[in-house]
Amino acid sequence: MADFECGPINYKTREGLHILQGIHLRLSSPAMVVINGPSGCGKSTLLRAITGLNNAEVALRRLDQERFDERTLSAWRAKVTLLLQDAPCLEGSVLENLTFPFDFKNSGGRMCSETSISNRLGEVDLGHIPLDADVRRLSGGERHRLGIVRGLLWGPKVLIADEPLSGLEPELADKCFHVLMDYARMENAIVICVLHEERFAGKADQWLKLENGTLHRINPL
Amino acid sequence: MAHYIELTPFDLFLAVGLIIIAAAISVALKLGITRSLFMASARCMLQLGAMGLILKKIFQINTPLLVLGWLMIMLVFAGREAVRRSKTKYKGINLDALATMTVSSLVAGGLVTQMVIKVSPWYDPQYLIPIFGMVFGNSLNGICLCLDRLTEYVRSRGREIELMLAFGATRSEAMRRGARQAVRTGMIPIINNMTVAGIVSLPGMMTGQIVAGASPMQAVAYQIVIMFMIAAANALGSMSIATLAGRRLVSNYGLQLPEHKK
Repeated sequence: MADFECGPINYKTREGLHILQGIHLRLSSPAMVVINGPSGCGKSTLLRAITGLNNAEVALRRLDQERFDERTLSAWRAKVTLLLQDAPCLEGSVLENLTFPFDFKNSGGRMCSETSISNRLGEVDLGHIPLDADVRRLSGGERHRLGIVRGLLWGPKVLIADEPLSGLEPELADKCFHVLMDYARMENAIVICVLHEERFAGKADQWLKLENGTLHRINPL
Repeated sequence: MAHYIELTPFDLFLAVGLIIIAAAISVALKLGITRSLFMASARCMLQLGAMGLILKKIFQINTPLLVLGWLMIMLVFAGREAVRRSKTKYKGINLDALATMTVSSLVAGGLVTQMVIKVSPWYDPQYLIPIFGMVFGNSLNGICLCLDRLTEYVRSRGREIELMLAFGATRSEAMRRGARQAVRTGMIPIINNMTVAGIVSLPGMMTGQIVAGASPMQAVAYQIVIMFMIAAANALGSMSIATLAGRRLVSNYGLQLPEHKK
């Protein structure tokens, strides 16, 4: 069981535009949450604000009993992890790209076995890719799926993904969406995704829409 | 004191002839650098002349305060030059460069003058000023190269740094690869210099000492000490500027990209 709270979040651009206006998120696991909204409404800004990757004003970041502040942001990000938009990769092999976080001080002794790596890769149809392959040889869609696998192996209590399915064929997108949904269920975690496709939004436990700087609940009402 | 041939003003006048040769080539090939060549030679003469006069005075008066004061002035100029030469700037770069220069040259230069050469009195300007001058000049170079490499790394591989941060990397973990590359870059010139020393070139200081009549073995001994000192200063300087700059370029809230030099 994970209890996650973040907010109120306020974000103003340098030009004075108030993009996020007092958003307050409180979620309990297991939960699959989909956020959408018109492009440019600040969805990525919201996800970055939650994970402390921009200078938004965030009054409280709490996971279970633990509160996090500016000095403990990196520990927060190890538990509330963002899969960045466009699935960036490190220069190096597929294996390095999946396992680099386990060397961080904040990994807290987490491990990942070769079996879990190959299982997860298989789930998103990447089973055929050798672990020592150079990531530069992967296609855009393969990188996106690699990014998802990286997040699942890392196993944070709250997994946040910024358009993780973009550029995937519908069939693969379905598969990946269900893998993320299963993660929330099986690991008793919280998954928050920004997604464009409304067909997925309807299947999630919660569907939130970001508009005019605030979140509106679409489903369940 | 060993003997050497003293140069007279007339000798210097003859040397101007050499610049005329360079200028003639510039004119003949329409290089368009005749003016700057003359300007540079004039500046070189004036600056070195002024330096000579100042050093002469400092050597005469010979008090610790004056020597230290002069070293401070050199230090400040070296720090400013390091910033001026580097391609990118960020807020606080002046302070970082100055702090780095101070620490690296103080440690390396201090060890050499006080522990190795054992200068007596400890502030003897005959040793302190040229030796610290060499440390400053060389650290300046190392710091510049290191800074440029680091900002270039952050600019070109910022996405990777963010990726690591997003997975809980601390700031230093996220910058580790970049800092390592930058420190390596800062140290390459001195490594190259040490590698070819004596084969391709006789280092300037050694040349000077030999001309001034020192025994070649003594000149070599000095040169070795100086090169090791420069290596230490470069390593220290690159490491500290990479750490300081890294902290400015990556905050707790992610990347803070520097602005390009206008």
